[in-house]
Amino acid sequence: MSDILIDDRIRDWVFLPIIIVMFMIQMFRGLLTKYMDNKKTSQKVTSKAQVSEMIDKNITQQSQRLARLYGLLPDHSFKMKRAHLCDNKSGILTKASEKPAKDPMQSMSMMNPAAMADMLKQNLSGIVFMALQYQWVSYFFSGFVIGKVPFPLTQKFRTMLQRGVDVQNLDVRYISSISIYFVLLFGGLQKIQQLMFGDDTDEFVDDTQMQMQMQMMGMPTMPSFGQQNDPGKLFIAERTRLEGVKHSFELNKSQEKAIKSLKRFLIQ
Amino acid sequence: MEEPKVELDDLEVNQERLKLNTNQLKNLRVYGSLNAGMIAGILGMDGWIGIGIYVAIFLIVSACLAIKMNFRVKEYFKSSYDAYYSGIGTDMLLFLMIWVIFHNLVNIL
Repeated sequence: MSDILIDDRIRDWVFLPIIIVMFMIQMFRGLLTKYMDNKKTSQKVTSKAQVSEMIDKNITQQSQRLARLYGLLPDHSFKMKRAHLCDNKSGILTKASEKPAKDPMQSMSMMNPAAMADMLKQNLSGIVFMALQYQWVSYFFSGFVIGKVPFPLTQKFRTMLQRGVDVQNLDVRYISSISIYFVLLFGGLQKIQQLMFGDDTDEFVDDTQMQMQMQMMGMPTMPSFGQQNDPGKLFIAERTRLEGVKHSFELNKSQEKAIKSLKRFLIQ
Repeated sequence: MEEPKVELDDLEVNQERLKLNTNQLKNLRVYGSLNAGMIAGILGMDGWIGIGIYVAIFLIVSACLAIKMNFRVKEYFKSSYDAYYSGIGTDMLLFLMIWVIFHNLVNIL
């Protein structure tokens, strides 16, 4: 395969503009999320359904915390807390697990405006920008070869990397402009943005990346919408987990731990 | 409100310092892959040699980190696997991106 010479003007007017524009949009998105986070006020709980949801969430949080950190409590404290939650007649978990399963339509949480606003914000600063950029790139810059990837690829990648270029026998290494878009998208303009912005944009960036991957795998549910349909089963599971916990107070092992760390300290 | 997840074993580890250390390590790795991408792109390396350059620079960064820590990994990170080898796959995409960009800019266009 002879080398293809690519005109200088493609570099000036296609390659560099795509990179610069995508980078700017990424920075803009970061600033936008920062701005919206600053404006977020605390959410007020309005409806009764939301109150009962909050109560359920708090109960599960309490029982999970107990199951995780039981080593910090001495024996009688742990037993008291466990009985408060799991007692056969009056424990909170047993009472909660007798609630009927919630109607899935009702618990969709599309009704409370706070969750919907959150969803809108996430959509806006994630998917909409992606779709816009894709449309822009494929409208303006389709139909020609833009560059070459340095590593050999199989023929399967041809449809993805050479969209719009109809020459059949062209080496798969020559790529069209949409593939530059994909490379930039997945490659991580986000990481460079993190370098510039410091650590502030950590959590949000992870969310959109995760959300994007989940949507691409075909799962439409978002991570914040937990288990909605049958809280009774959830509470029964929590209760069996708590009853199976083998409790041992960490302070009982403190002498051995002190010996170990003193040894490590003295040997150095 | 989300609680921070605390496990029993983590009570011996100072959380804020560990977080600062891992952030710094992440920054270091990003710089390392940026440099590796630029080197591979400008020199016009092809195929597997380029990926070899990435791995080589990654190991050099880990070695410099080890020398800076005086080989006492436990004081700064959770385990030596974490500090030296863990993030190699995630930064490879960044390396590929920079490699493609620089290779095209310098050699072809």
